[in-house]
Amino acid sequence: MSAIFQIAGIGIIIAMIHSVLKQMGKEDMAHWVTVIGFVVVLFMVVRLLSELFQEIKTIFLFQ
Amino acid sequence: MIKLLGVVLILFAGTMLGFQQAAKYAERPRQLRQLAHALQRLETEIGYGHTPLPEALKRTAAASPEPISSMLLSAASGVEREEGLGFQESWKQAVLRHWSETSMRGSEQAALLRLGSTLGISDKEDQMKHLRLALLQLKAEEDAARDDQGRYEKMWKSLGILIAVLIVILMV
Repeated sequence: MSAIFQIAGIGIIIAMIHSVLKQMGKEDMAHWVTVIGFVVVLFMVVRLLSELFQEIKTIFLFQ
Repeated sequence: MIKLLGVVLILFAGTMLGFQQAAKYAERPRQLRQLAHALQRLETEIGYGHTPLPEALKRTAAASPEPISSMLLSAASGVEREEGLGFQESWKQAVLRHWSETSMRGSEQAALLRLGSTLGISDKEDQMKHLRLALLQLKAEEDAARDDQGRYEKMWKSLGILIAVLIVILMV
């Protein structure tokens, strides 16, 4: 459960940084921040998915 | 418990970093104005007081606030020392040595160094003209700095806190 909250928190903070940077006229930097945040979240999701996969494998395939 | 302490420390550090950056942007126009005042005073000393240059620098330094006054003082003392540097060399050394104490940037430094190569080598009309030129450049820089301040001061204040929170969330 905590991973979901972590991802949600990252999303909120990245959105705030994006809006702050955009307001100050640094749109290119704002987009980079968004992209980097997306990549970080993606890595976290991939790790979670691989854990899930491993678990499924141990439950159904190798009993 | 120790985790909470770390969180607090990171938040504090990020906030302070943001505020420090913001303070730099707030300080620059103020120092530029002070420098312009100092140059104006120097112009008066040279043009109407006919004061010798080291003396004029010292009087100007006495009337200026801190980072600028020490710069002018060391420029004056460089000329008066035993081995006696030329004014241009002394001025250059003083500007370079004290520059890191100010919040100003390279363009002001270039204007000041150019001014240093013309002061004290010609008649007073010429010197006043060069001082006025430097004043104009500083005025333009001050306008640009004020623009930057309005734009970036707030940004850095919120950005510091936000980045600290992001680091905390990533690490917890």
